[in-house]
Amino acid sequence: MTKILAVDDSASMRQMVSFTLQGAGYEVVEACDGQEALNKAKQSQVDLVLSDVNMPVMDGIALIKQLRTLPNYKFTPILMLTTESAADKKTEGKAAGATGWIVKPFNPDQLLNTIKKVLG
Amino acid sequence: MLEPRHSFDTPTHPQPRAPKGFSHINRYWDKSQGVFAAKILPGEFYVSLAGEMIVTVLGSCIAACVRDRVKGVGGMNHFMLPIQRENMGNGPAVFSESARYGNWAMEYLINEVLKNGGDKRNLEIKIFGGGRVLENMQQIDVGQKNIDFVRHFIANESLYLAAEDVGGVFPRKVLYFPDTGSVKVRKLKTVRNDVVFERERNYAKSINTRPAQGDIELF
Repeated sequence: MTKILAVDDSASMRQMVSFTLQGAGYEVVEACDGQEALNKAKQSQVDLVLSDVNMPVMDGIALIKQLRTLPNYKFTPILMLTTESAADKKTEGKAAGATGWIVKPFNPDQLLNTIKKVLG
Repeated sequence: MLEPRHSFDTPTHPQPRAPKGFSHINRYWDKSQGVFAAKILPGEFYVSLAGEMIVTVLGSCIAACVRDRVKGVGGMNHFMLPIQRENMGNGPAVFSESARYGNWAMEYLINEVLKNGGDKRNLEIKIFGGGRVLENMQQIDVGQKNIDFVRHFIANESLYLAAEDVGGVFPRKVLYFPDTGSVKVRKLKTVRNDVVFERERNYAKSINTRPAQGDIELF
């Protein structure tokens, strides 16, 4: 089963994302900040990371940078799901190694289509 | 000797700049309170960093005031849940499109407070509105649905609800001072015109017909 790491400091957001992904047959691992996500990604390989940007402890951009230093996450799709729509933030995310940028609010069908697309 | 009476007719200091992304908000000098103010309409939110007052008028909508009580950074939103998009397949109500819209209204405000120096652990929330005001809306108590949603959201996020003045049958005018956290609420027992209702009806119509969805970009 395809495993997705869903990272958001908002419990409501994590629940909504998990509900959408699980409904489509994905296995979901949740984390509430970048550091917890990094720990979980190291413990068990995931197929895709879906992460918020603004989070305490470690933000989403720092998480991408850390993940990209790990050999088994060099090419794993990392999608940012965020309220941030500023061009400079997107550029920062892209430079860090993000695969794509989704601005909240998300439409469940479009989110699932995007995930399908980047998973190949 | 009597001190000269202070007049609020003219600003006592220059207007602070609007935070990035909020230049569309109506900001003005409020003579009655002697402060610069930002007036938000249904669907809008605002975060103040410079001692401004945030004002809104609520019928069935909810305004959540979110503030870091240590740093004095805070803001207010003004929203309601779309009532025509209640269900999302056979999922639970908390994941309905309606509730998801509310989650985003809250998340946008909270994130803006955090981006401006707030710390999630220090947040206090005050909620207002949710009156049984909008009539002719399919017999649904829109105000109560909004109240139920925002209370659930606050509990789910383990946030601190510091005060609330919700429900009832009257519209409210809310004046919020994010730097101190104080709030002045006036119940509008006589509304001189139906601008409040008209704005909420138009807002309800727009969120019921326009799907909420952000941009997607693949790099």
